[in-house]
Amino acid sequence: MSFGLSGAGGGDHHVLNDLDLEIQQGERIGLVGRNGAGKSTLLRIIGGIYPPAGGTVWRDPKKTVALLSLGLGFKGDLSGRDNALLAAMLQGLTRREAKQRLDAIGEFTELGEFYEQPVKTYSSGMRSRLGFATGLLLDTDILLLDEILAVGDQGFRQKAREALKDRLSPDKTVILVHHMEQAIKETCHRAVWLEQGRVRDDGSVAEVLAAYAADA
Amino acid sequence: MARLSLKAEAQRYYLGYLWWVLEPLLWVGVFYVVFYELLGSRTPDFLMFLAVGKLMFIWFSKTVNYAGTSLVSNEGLIGRMDLPKSLFPLTVILECAYRQVVVFLLLFVLILADGAIPSGLWLWLLPLALVQLALIIFAGCVASVLVAFQRDFALLINLGMVFMMFVSGVFWDINDIVNESAAQALLTWNPIAFLLHSYRQVMLWEQAPDVAHLLVLGLLALAATAATLYLMGRYGPHLARRVVSA
Repeated sequence: MSFGLSGAGGGDHHVLNDLDLEIQQGERIGLVGRNGAGKSTLLRIIGGIYPPAGGTVWRDPKKTVALLSLGLGFKGDLSGRDNALLAAMLQGLTRREAKQRLDAIGEFTELGEFYEQPVKTYSSGMRSRLGFATGLLLDTDILLLDEILAVGDQGFRQKAREALKDRLSPDKTVILVHHMEQAIKETCHRAVWLEQGRVRDDGSVAEVLAAYAADA
Repeated sequence: MARLSLKAEAQRYYLGYLWWVLEPLLWVGVFYVVFYELLGSRTPDFLMFLAVGKLMFIWFSKTVNYAGTSLVSNEGLIGRMDLPKSLFPLTVILECAYRQVVVFLLLFVLILADGAIPSGLWLWLLPLALVQLALIIFAGCVASVLVAFQRDFALLINLGMVFMMFVSGVFWDINDIVNESAAQALLTWNPIAFLLHSYRQVMLWEQAPDVAHLLVLGLLALAATAATLYLMGRYGPHLARRVVSA
């Protein structure tokens, strides 16, 4: 599998410019870069959420893709359980399949009684935990993870990373955006540094992270 | 999604699902006081006349207003998942349709309590409601796209619904227009005025609606709805970019 992306612009803000990137099946790539570098926009374009303003994206049409990001998309008036049900059904599960997973999701989130309360009463950490647990429902070929491991406290973050590792088979392609080096070192084989919508560096995780840190 | 939203909405208010009945009744009550008690409307059986017009008009205006903001209010979900964009206005439309079933029942109760006897003519209510639903889907989807492109449209749509209320014979009778060609033009070019008039013909005046007009309107509404849903599917990713980057 490969992506070819060139001359892409991310909407009105033009966050991506002349970006060219090829990703093979089974690669696990960490995307780094400062705020506004275009990381989330790139994930959305790869995920087919919206097209590039210019250029082309090629993705094997047989491969399924899921973009997991945190805290967005919840309906504040619905409980955590109902939001999880909705998220599962929107990801393609039947109502019955979705309902079967609700207790496991609730348990994983460690929300306790809050799982039955409206999401608008949640702290940002609680929303993140719910987002992570509902995001890991689907078994897709390409996983696009936008800060999804920056969840809750230290203990929960560790649990989240382990849960993700359990879900990753060698043929699964992962692109991870994360501001913590440790998560990228643990999960990825390759890192790409984006700056002002262009690839500034692309190579092994150790090399790219070192260059990125030196530039900070 | 529609059912979950309705459940959440009911939980938000102390009187819960009771508002489905209370709100339309209060609307009719307010209009009755203003137009009958204060302004002295001379339309015969004004309360029932108003109830039919207002309750069926609210279905259209409220749904289109809500559907208009359905894409922008789901920005988070649209930026996360590649979902059909028509899903969002259609969910709102379904939500309002569930509610309208209750309003329909309320209307039947009011009319029967007023002494009307249902006849076979009432079967015309089904095609009338289906044509109205097709119009709502068309207008709701178009409104959602307009607001996604420029949020100011939400205000204009709101204003447009007030304008529609004044020109659709909600609280006045089209038969009272002295200039016959003007009345005919209103019924021809304003589908909501035609539908409200037809509902009253069936429920209050024991008349069949203008079948040819209803058929043409139904076909046009279906064609416009199908074209809108197709275009929303075709340009869904572009719409998503607009919603997320706005």
